[in-house]
Amino acid sequence: MEIIEKIKTFKSIDVQTEIQKICLHKLKLGPLPNPKSELWRLSNKSKFLNFLDYSVNKKDSKFDIQYPKKSQSTIRLIIGENCQIKFIEKNYSIQQLSEDELHKYLKEQISSFNQNENWSDLFNLSLSCKNNILGLKINGSKIPPIEIFSHALSNSLNAKTLVIFLEKNCDVELLQINLGKENSSLSQSTFFCLKENSSLNHGVVSFGENKSNLLNSLNVIQQKNSEYNLGSLHFKFNYARFEISIKQSAGNAKTNIKGMQITKKDQQISTYTKIDFNGPNGFLDQINKSLADDKSHAIFEGSIIVPKIAQRTDASQLSRNLLLSNLAKIDTKPQLEIIADDVKCKHGATISQLNEEELFYMRTRGITLTEASKLQLSSYFQEIISFIPVSKDRWDLLDKLLNEN
Amino acid sequence: MVNENLVKDVVKEPYKYGFVTDIETEKIAKGLNEDIIRLISQKKEEPKYLLDFRLKAFKKWQKMEEPDWAGLGYKKIDYQDIIYYSAPKQKKKISSLEEVDPKLLETFDKLGIPLTEQKKLTNVAVDAVFDSVSIATTFREELAIHGVIFCSISEAVKNHSDLIEKYLGTVVPASDNYFAALNSAVFSDGSFVYIPKGVTCPMDLSSYFRINSGDSGQFERTLIIAEESSSVSYLEGCTAPMFDTNTLHAAVVELIALDDASIKYSTVQNWYAGDEEGVGGIFNFVTKRGKCLGKRSKISWSQVETGSAITWKYPSCLLLGEESVGEFYSVALTNNLQQADTGTKMIHIGPKTKSTIVSKGISAGNSINSYRGLVKMGTKAAGSRNYSQCDSMLIGDQASANTFPYIKSQQPNSEIEHEASTCRISEDQLFYLQSRGIEFEEAVSMMVSGFCRDVFNQLPMEFAAEADKLLALKLEGSVG
Repeated sequence: MEIIEKIKTFKSIDVQTEIQKICLHKLKLGPLPNPKSELWRLSNKSKFLNFLDYSVNKKDSKFDIQYPKKSQSTIRLIIGENCQIKFIEKNYSIQQLSEDELHKYLKEQISSFNQNENWSDLFNLSLSCKNNILGLKINGSKIPPIEIFSHALSNSLNAKTLVIFLEKNCDVELLQINLGKENSSLSQSTFFCLKENSSLNHGVVSFGENKSNLLNSLNVIQQKNSEYNLGSLHFKFNYARFEISIKQSAGNAKTNIKGMQITKKDQQISTYTKIDFNGPNGFLDQINKSLADDKSHAIFEGSIIVPKIAQRTDASQLSRNLLLSNLAKIDTKPQLEIIADDVKCKHGATISQLNEEELFYMRTRGITLTEASKLQLSSYFQEIISFIPVSKDRWDLLDKLLNEN
Repeated sequence: MVNENLVKDVVKEPYKYGFVTDIETEKIAKGLNEDIIRLISQKKEEPKYLLDFRLKAFKKWQKMEEPDWAGLGYKKIDYQDIIYYSAPKQKKKISSLEEVDPKLLETFDKLGIPLTEQKKLTNVAVDAVFDSVSIATTFREELAIHGVIFCSISEAVKNHSDLIEKYLGTVVPASDNYFAALNSAVFSDGSFVYIPKGVTCPMDLSSYFRINSGDSGQFERTLIIAEESSSVSYLEGCTAPMFDTNTLHAAVVELIALDDASIKYSTVQNWYAGDEEGVGGIFNFVTKRGKCLGKRSKISWSQVETGSAITWKYPSCLLLGEESVGEFYSVALTNNLQQADTGTKMIHIGPKTKSTIVSKGISAGNSINSYRGLVKMGTKAAGSRNYSQCDSMLIGDQASANTFPYIKSQQPNSEIEHEASTCRISEDQLFYLQSRGIEFEEAVSMMVSGFCRDVFNQLPMEFAAEADKLLALKLEGSVG
């Protein structure tokens, strides 16, 4: 709670940028999110306080995790470590945003922030110092896949920010990896702006170690004819929140989301998504899967907002959940708010356990119960994992998930 | 392209139950305090335990805050500006229907409710509630032969006090929510039904609620108890005159089903909804809950909600008994500036319990129609199942349809399925029907009634026909 005390007094934080000052000022009015609000009411209070219980890491020493070998064609960036980025090739360019551009964009975003809904972003931006903000502008075609890392070191709270502008007609594959060391808290905020006709295949893989915490927020603005595909996976965190906000600013855009969260022991992982259609002909296909075992708690809340202007929107949202233990809990709330009349919107939700008939069938064929459950789980996981770009071979995600069981 | 105006015209049928009966009434002073509660209790000659129940509820209510989580936009209610007791003046106690004020009988006749037992056209026993008191209950003798008790709750307090004391407030406790606490403090009348062991109620029972005064609230309380292996089907209808002011209706309904018992509770709610500008109309804040206490017991709610300026209502089932069943079938139609926030709660506590939810929302005009429901599987609800389906139909591009399903599970050996969809009246289908010579309005109402078919099929016969007609009337002038 030391950090909240600091936010309250504000002056003791080494304020460096105007953005930090604005965010601190907004946070000062209400340093903690309202626990009664829909976004925070199910959040485990003691776990959340534990998230805040580390002091801010000022010196960002090198992270000692062994990353998988990087393939030659991949561009690998580590937030906090890469200072000068400039790739200018024949077909494409990846450059750092100028301070002015970054400042202007973030300021614009913050002006529309709501203290409760965007608490994670305000918190992130008030703590993340200049070195921990990575701003990129990507242009061109045939861009090699990009991997971007954020990590939190043991016994500290780390705040990292990523801002990416995808210029017109640009097509990118990007994998974001958030890693948490033992007893650590990571606050990661990501901002994407997809310009007209651009397309982004985005993967988010977050995993921690013992008692690591994560507050991950993702803000995407999609201009006309842009396409955004998100594959995400969160596991092995004592406490993690993934907040997604996607705005199709002028409609005519496509969004596909496939996300999964896996909770064990007494972990709590939650996903909140808000998809705002601000123009006609928008498209959304979303599936969110949760798996809760032991004494854990998995939460999904998804809202789809279709105002009058968003005629001919086609949106579907599905929440599929597996509850594997008597002591685990699952909460899910897919919600629709619709005013436009010429729309196709639907959502669905299921909670069950592994299919007994399938298990029985496999056992009659001589497959052991453990193997049979693994097979079932792997097909459950595979749908999401295969949607995560860049990761397929090198990260062995399926293996990581199954062997955890 | 379908003509916008034509569809709007389809919804504009004036409210035909909006007349006021000119009858001398006995009203108490406006306002709410302990003395008022004592006065109500005294007027009804209630025993002490009931007065204590009221006072306790009032104390709790004073400490509570009016809920705002539903996000319903309405002018703050001044609870001191409401008359909590209003009754038609009657000189002496009536012993038979012939002694009821003919004006009252005429009122119910106008509403299409047969109170005179000579008119045995329908085999339905009716309890008619006018403002704060029950006017008459029909078919009493016949019901008594089977041991069925069907009377107003005030009579039940006098004649079946043991049952009231045992069950009142056991399903919806006084402190349950703001409006339930208010109702527990000031409830005036309502119906009481007791079905003894092994009896299948020989006829449908029905209550008809009529608000007549513009400045008095209606706070009725209904209690239905179905003993082992009994069954009953209960219907409820409501209307009110047109006033420019908003009238508060805060009812509480409690159902209790013991082993193998079944209760079917159907509502056609057609309170005055206010005019096109949203002036006037009833605020309908109702708490309805059923407790499936016994093994294999069943409670089924079906409702057609077309009236009220604001509806805030979640008929729920507490599924305690093993293999008990809860059902909820609902059609909610909103037009003009109406707001409806309705749905259900299915709380699975016992093992092998089952629940089904089918909700159809139709929003037209500038209205807001929300489904809000909770399905919860407790840790002991092994082998339980739930299926929910929520469909919304939007008419016009100003109306809004929301779906907020809350789903919670703590039991791996249970299954929950939920699906929701949104659609509008398809132009292709309209065109097809019109090309076959079916009038535009009829085509629209055919499609709406098709959309609601799953729910109408669950309503008792007389109600299904009435509901279908009601929807067609309400929609007149709104489709475009």
